[in-house]
Parts: sequence; structure tokens; C-alpha cells
Amino acid sequence: MKKVFLKELRMNVKVLLIWGLAVGGLGMACILLYDSMQGDMKQMADAFSNMGAFSDAFGMSTLSIATLKGYFATEVGTVHGLGSGMFAAILAIGILSREEEGHTGEFLLSLPITRSKTVAVKGAVVVFLLFLFTVFCGIFYAAGSAILGEQLPAREFLVFMSRQLLMNLEIAGICFAISSLSGKNRTGAGIGITLLFYIFDLTGRVVPDLKDYLYLGPYSYANASEIFSGAGTPANALIIAIAVMICGAAFAFFCYNRRDLAA
Amino acid sequence: MAYAIEIDHLTKSYGKNRGVVDVSLKVKEGDIFGFLGPNGAGKSTTIRSMLGFLKFKEGSIRIMGMDSVRDHEKILANVGYMPSEAWFYGTMRVSDVIRYAADVRGLDCTAEAEKLCDRLRVDKNKKIRELSLGNRKKVSIVCAMQHRPKLFIFDEPTGGLDPLMQKNFFDLVYEYVREGATCLLSTHVLPEVNKYCRNAAIMREGRLTMLESPDIDDETFLRFYEEDL
Repeated sequence: MKKVFLKELRMNVKVLLIWGLAVGGLGMACILLYDSMQGDMKQMADAFSNMGAFSDAFGMSTLSIATLKGYFATEVGTVHGLGSGMFAAILAIGILSREEEGHTGEFLLSLPITRSKTVAVKGAVVVFLLFLFTVFCGIFYAAGSAILGEQLPAREFLVFMSRQLLMNLEIAGICFAISSLSGKNRTGAGIGITLLFYIFDLTGRVVPDLKDYLYLGPYSYANASEIFSGAGTPANALIIAIAVMICGAAFAFFCYNRRDLAA
Repeated sequence: MAYAIEIDHLTKSYGKNRGVVDVSLKVKEGDIFGFLGPNGAGKSTTIRSMLGFLKFKEGSIRIMGMDSVRDHEKILANVGYMPSEAWFYGTMRVSDVIRYAADVRGLDCTAEAEKLCDRLRVDKNKKIRELSLGNRKKVSIVCAMQHRPKLFIFDEPTGGLDPLMQKNFFDLVYEYVREGATCLLSTHVLPEVNKYCRNAAIMREGRLTMLESPDIDDETFLRFYEEDL
């Protein structure tokens, strides 16, 4: 199993680096831009905080984008949330189905490794890569604020990155289950699911009637503005996230063990 | 008499489509068994059911005395399989693929792999994506043989191989069989069965017919392709 794990890591390391550099680098660039925008930020912060529901949706009513904390939460929070969600989806939705689509499934599964072990190893690779991705981006963001000579509040920053990791794992859990269903890579569906969750969260924050259902989506508990403004822990959303993750993994085991594999 | 393969009333369908119907087959240990039949006859379905790629509800399969479902992992440790389409991870080098196959088995097959690569003239430094079908097949042969399995399952192994490599391949099969291995050879090529196999069966429209002898003439062979059984 160790050899399969290492091979999977090697095969996905390029994707990790590309996405890590793109998302982490973009986030860092945003942080570095803060310095040059600081002069105009005061007026912008006032304008953005008075846009009603939209200010609420992007957290600008509770946090001032004139501070690094507020700027990070509104700008980098969005970049990281969307970027990491897409990375999680793309990674997980292809990890099982890729073997059949690339016709390598017969080679892998003719080796003495059960389907359950294959699912376990590939699931572990997804979790490990998402963890590495989070650390990678976290280092970029910390480096960006260090270059500015400012510091993000450590506790909130760690909570934000941890919740983002959980959100990535939840999306990955859903996509991992889809990956076990057929031998076709459904990258488009993965990106679509991520965008759907993001739009659901955004809409829920703008439309008052939907607010009570926000906890159903993974972006609810990973919202940077709420975390950096010190909102309480959304326990129900976190429980749902863990349940979805477990169900996704269990479904993948169940389905992959019972279906015919394409040649 | 011990059997390497025992298939008992195997029926496998794909939804409403026929796969194989009531297939029963026994292959003795030490045999080179020819498995003939037209495209879509059910040869690959039978093989893929044996290896656990396909799930079946009717019938049973025993490989080397072990149940193909319950003892799946143990069976695969003792089987060398070569699929008809030899696909590997395109970005890996040939040497990495061969070593990876051995590593997953938890074996050091360096010496055997070297021997096989020499005999089959495999360029180990090339990337998989740079290889032709014939060269991918040669890599597949090395992966199937390097751990010296008790049972070989070859699905159309010689397609894409030049005549010299075809001869080298069968020489290797003979060497391993002389040492006690068994070989199931699925093929379209009648001369291969006539020349190398000791027993044979032919599949048509999902049903299997045992041949009294693998030495059948072209006319009889082609009748299986053209007429109803």
C-alpha cells in the first residue's frame, strides 16, 4: 500500500504545485497589494460597508477592509475559498475514475491489492494533498503579511485555514464518491459542485429567507469574514460537514467494491 | 488431478446485455490452454470475472483452489495477467513501471526482470507514453512474468509484437510452464493455439464449447465465427 500511496503522490505533486502556486501566490499578491491600496482604503471601506445585503454577504459590514484583517478576510478569503474548493474537487473527482479512463485500472487491480485498499490509499492521498495545499497556501499568506510588516491575528488565521481544510475535505468527500461511480473523469462536475456551493452560500447571505439554511453548505463555516470578526462556532454546519465527508468516503468504498470496472 | 482454473456455471450479464452464459471450464495445472473466439464472444468477460474486475452473481470461480471472490488478493499474488490493451501510467519510465509492479507485490524481481527485458529487448529508459503498442505489450509481459507466477492469463498477447518477439514470448511461456506454471491464452490466432496449446475451448455468443483437440483446421475454426452453434 505504501508504494501505491507514494506513486499516487508523485503523480499528483505537479497538480499540487500548480494549484498551490496559483492560489497561494494570488493570495499573497493580494496581501502585498494592500500596502499600495491602503491610502484609498478608508473611503472604499466606508462605501463598501454601506451596501446593505451585499456588504453582509462579503462580510464588509462587520469588518473594515481598511485593516489587514478585514482586507484579508474579504479578498484573500474569497480567493482561497474558491481556489481551494476547486482544487479539492478536481483532485478527488478524478482520483479513482482516472484509472479506468486512462485504462490503467487493469494494471493496478491485477496487482495483489484489493479494491478497498485502493480506495483507502487514494482517499488518504487526497487528504494528505489537501493538507499540504493548506499548509503551502498558509505559508504564502503568512509570508505576505510578514513582508508588509504586519501580522494577521494568529488564532483567527489558524481557525480560517483549518475550516478551509475541512471545507475542502467535505467537497472532496462528495467528489470522491462521484469518482467511484464511473470510469469517466468528471472534472467539470467537480468545478460545478464547488461553484454551486459557493453561490449557495453567497445567495444565502444576500437573501434573508435562505439564511437559516446556510449551514447546509460547506462555505458557511469557512467564511473568512465571520471567522475574523469572531463569530461563534457553527456546530451544526461542522457536524454536517463531517457527516458528508464520512458518507462520501463510505459510498466510495461501497460503490467501488461492487461495480464492474471498465476495461 | 489438480486444476489451476475451475469455472462452474458462470453467468455474467451487463444489464440486459449478454456477457457469458453458463460457462463451465477446467484448466489443469501445467496446461497451456487456448481460449478462442470472435470479438465480443465473452473471452475477456470470463477472464475479467476470474480476476475480479467484473462482479458476477451466478456461478463460481476457483483459481488454484481458492475462491476468486474471497481469496482475491491471494490469487492475484500468484497470477501474471497481461491485458489485451497494455496501458500504463504515461509519465512513468518503463523501469519505474516494472519496479512498481514488483514493489506492490512486495518482491524483488530485479534479476528476473533484467532477464525478461534482455530477451524481449525492452528499452527501460523510455517513458511509457513514448512506446508503441508492441513495446507496451513487451512491458506488460515483463510485469506479468517477473514474479514467476503459478498462473499466467494472457489476453491476446501477441497483437502488435513482431514475429521474433512472438517466438521469444512463447519460448518464455514454455520455460515457465516447464517449471510448473499454467497458462491460459486468449487469442484470435488459430496457429498459436495449434502450435502451443495442449487443450482449447472456443467461445461464441457467451457460450463455451470445449474442443477435443487444439489441432483444428481453419474451416472448422471459421465455422465458429460464422454459424450458430
